[in-house]
Amino acid sequence: MSDDATEPKEKSRTPFAGWLLCAVPLVALVELALHVKQTSSDVVPESDWTAARDVVKAGLQPDDLVVFAPFWADPLGRQAFGEIASLKREGRSDERRFARAYEVSSRGAHVPELASWKKLEEKKAGALTVTLFENPSFTKVIDDTIDLVNPERLTVSRVDNGSEQPCAFQRGSSAGGSTVVPQGLLTPADKFVCMGGHVGVAVLHALDHHPHLCIYATPMQRGTLRLRFSNVTFGPSLHGHSGIQWLVERTPTPERIGVTFSAFDRPIGTHAHKVGAGWVGFEFPTAELDGKRGDLVAEIAPSSQRQFCFEATTRREAP
Amino acid sequence: MSEREKMAEETQRLDPAIVAAKAKAADAKARASDDEAVSSEAETVAIVAKAPMKDEPASAEASASGGGAVAAWARQNVDPLIGGAIALVYVLWLLATARSLGFSRDEGFYFSASAEYERWFKLLFTTPSKAFERPVIDQIWASNHEHPSLMKSLFALSHHFFWDRWKIFADQSTAFRLPGMLSMGLALWVTYLFGARAFSRRAGIIAAVALGLMPNVFYHAHLACFDVPIMAMWITCIFTYWTAVKKGGLRWALLAGLMYGLTLETKHNAWMLPAVFLPHAIAMVFPDFASFLVRGRATAQETSKAANLPLASLVAMATIGPAVFVLLWPWLWHDTEPRIREYVNFHLHHDYYNIEFLGETYFGPPSPKSYMPVMIAATVPTITLVLFGIGAFDRARVLVARLVGWASDTLERTFAWPKEVPPSDPHHTDALLFLSLAVPLAVFLLPRTPIFGGTKHWITAYPALAIFAGRGFDLVATRIEALLAAKTTLDATKRSWALAFVGAITFVAPFAVTRHSHPFGLSAYVPFFGGTAGGADLGLNRQFWGFTTESLDPWFQKNTKPGDTVYIMDTAWQSWQRMIDEKRIPPWLRGVGSPAEAEISIVHHEQHINEVDYNIWTEYGSSAPEYVLVHDGVPIISVYRRPHGGQRGRARNR
Repeated sequence: MSDDATEPKEKSRTPFAGWLLCAVPLVALVELALHVKQTSSDVVPESDWTAARDVVKAGLQPDDLVVFAPFWADPLGRQAFGEIASLKREGRSDERRFARAYEVSSRGAHVPELASWKKLEEKKAGALTVTLFENPSFTKVIDDTIDLVNPERLTVSRVDNGSEQPCAFQRGSSAGGSTVVPQGLLTPADKFVCMGGHVGVAVLHALDHHPHLCIYATPMQRGTLRLRFSNVTFGPSLHGHSGIQWLVERTPTPERIGVTFSAFDRPIGTHAHKVGAGWVGFEFPTAELDGKRGDLVAEIAPSSQRQFCFEATTRREAP
Repeated sequence: MSEREKMAEETQRLDPAIVAAKAKAADAKARASDDEAVSSEAETVAIVAKAPMKDEPASAEASASGGGAVAAWARQNVDPLIGGAIALVYVLWLLATARSLGFSRDEGFYFSASAEYERWFKLLFTTPSKAFERPVIDQIWASNHEHPSLMKSLFALSHHFFWDRWKIFADQSTAFRLPGMLSMGLALWVTYLFGARAFSRRAGIIAAVALGLMPNVFYHAHLACFDVPIMAMWITCIFTYWTAVKKGGLRWALLAGLMYGLTLETKHNAWMLPAVFLPHAIAMVFPDFASFLVRGRATAQETSKAANLPLASLVAMATIGPAVFVLLWPWLWHDTEPRIREYVNFHLHHDYYNIEFLGETYFGPPSPKSYMPVMIAATVPTITLVLFGIGAFDRARVLVARLVGWASDTLERTFAWPKEVPPSDPHHTDALLFLSLAVPLAVFLLPRTPIFGGTKHWITAYPALAIFAGRGFDLVATRIEALLAAKTTLDATKRSWALAFVGAITFVAPFAVTRHSHPFGLSAYVPFFGGTAGGADLGLNRQFWGFTTESLDPWFQKNTKPGDTVYIMDTAWQSWQRMIDEKRIPPWLRGVGSPAEAEISIVHHEQHINEVDYNIWTEYGSSAPEYVLVHDGVPIISVYRRPHGGQRGRARNR
């Protein structure tokens, strides 16, 4: 390209570049306007949270889930909703166990797990949107093993070469916690204490960074940990989930932790939790046990992984 | 002539190719007046745009007739005074806001170490012979010996004099923090001087303002830590070297050596400075060397007068620097070599800490390459980055044009671009500034560089970024002034006021964002990223170091009683104790180390700290906090209270 050909282009570009430079301070004005908006009208006032709570409270049923979106707003939701944001809802194993869900959202955020659910109604509570969804694949929980972790409904023992040693239930102090992180899973205050481990209900920080209420059952180094839940009502299926404290799981290994379920001296199934898998679900058909009541036994195979947590529920598909 | 034609003419007048021709005439003058704008290109713009450089150094006659020696001195030192004024205002701002900013974990550790070092200084002042005994040195200086001692020594001396002896400050912490704040003043002062001398006074002012109005920088500038001090020393060392290069002579070279020693003694970022100085020195001699290779000895000899390898400065930095480093750090006075090795190994093999980025917590290599650029874009005010982009593009264009011009001369070939080669800069100021910017940033493109420190670990790049932003504003202001001249009837004075107004509105947003960010500077993200809530949406780090605990004071005051126990979570014990001592939080509270011991538990919201949140749920049997401390509606700390009856865990729910 000759010089002559380029010159007119340069001449025509220069004024445009000049205008662009003159417009640069407008960027600052836009920045200022955004800042004012973000620090005033965009901030959800406490009264909106209270209004949203009242909306939810008016229609809430026991099998309903309540969730807050975005996830970082969860503490605000828990503060405003109090006992409505129960451990079962906040530390849920999965969403299928809930018939409906109230989503309290701000900033247009949504809980991805509810994307396929049917929207029933939507209400505004100031800057918050309360949406009620219906679960298309609801599986009703019949019995939840987490509710059975007490000396009346659970016996725990350590089994070494066929020899069974009972683990005593203690109400005491939790163990763990410090001013540094990571701290690991807090050993709950109320727990069955075995030689080399314990069983109690805790809230797991799983690999997905979400809370999961579960039975913190430390696998034995050598022996098997046996949990016998009494008087369980069975349904057509046994659902469960397992996970290990996120710090362990974020470095995957080939190791697996096995949990074998049985009832009426017949095996139901074995779930092998692979280190690194995160919070994962499993499901065993128990049609032959449907409607029966009896002991559900969970046996955790020996493992070096100490921060294992699981939960299991007997369930029935909604009609 | 129509308005459009006037504009076109004005615009052509500002075309770099045209102004470069004018610059040639001014070039000799610019070099003679070494303290003024060094870059010929910048000098040109100052001439054409009539940038406000009114306070030229006064002559002896002027001073005699101008109202006394003080006025004359002030006129002769106008740049240091302007820079000093900016620095003073900023340090006063820091002092005024220090009381409302809690103590970070690292500050707690440095308070303790500095208190130890203060013991040594007291010994030095009273029984010097004892202070130099090895057992004394080893016992005292072992404290926090993974970091050099300069800043901690200054924290100690500041505490000793300004709090203990002269009672200047009511808070011990403010005395500890003062040297860090003064470091920020130094950074602003030098950034101004660098910008003013490399480009224009206006560029210098804007550079200093831009540097000060970054939320993260404002936060770190309060602290008794090393990040802002190393930023100050980094740019000061480079500025000293640059001055040594310009002025020559042994005095400045020795000063460069001393500055490098002080920088080494501030923080290990100084290890990277050779990557700034050596390429720059090579750039200074490269044209001659290349010409020698291409065109032969005779030509090289002709041009060698212009090339001036800053050998004295480099030698001084290589010799005086390490000597100063060892001399100022008593810990290294014995077992010097193994202790230096231990220090180096500590930082070469530093632990990786958790840090969230785009919703994922990173805890080891490889670090995401996008971390540094995204975090800069998310935390440095956008207008500052836009101005930086304009200024950096302009200087890069000049650098490349010079390179092409040099290649054209050396190879005796003609290239289509540039039509006019910008006058050469024997000091390679642009190259030095680009190196000053790029070296600290480039490290964060390496996969093994830990990223847990957030923006503070490349904070040393920010003065150069700000200087380029100052240059960018120079170009914007020049265009606006030309537009005003062409489109309005404003006289020169009114146009200057109009430009000052433009400068002010340009930095209202950075000022508002920075001011509003306090005391949650690490949670703040720029408006174009959605502000604090936008940062939370994107999964960017909310905070670290647990410094936000103090912001719970109003809640503590209303909702706690004497004897209440508080699980202090990410707050360092030393930081908690200092907050209690200074009544920043109610002195009746008793800090404890686990939720099991506590009536009240707090959790600082960071993704990897979720486990603490959930552990508190396990202990208290509830997920509902009693209070959530927020910034712009985003949770910073959740506060839980043990349920009535003292029952633990889920027992209370049955």
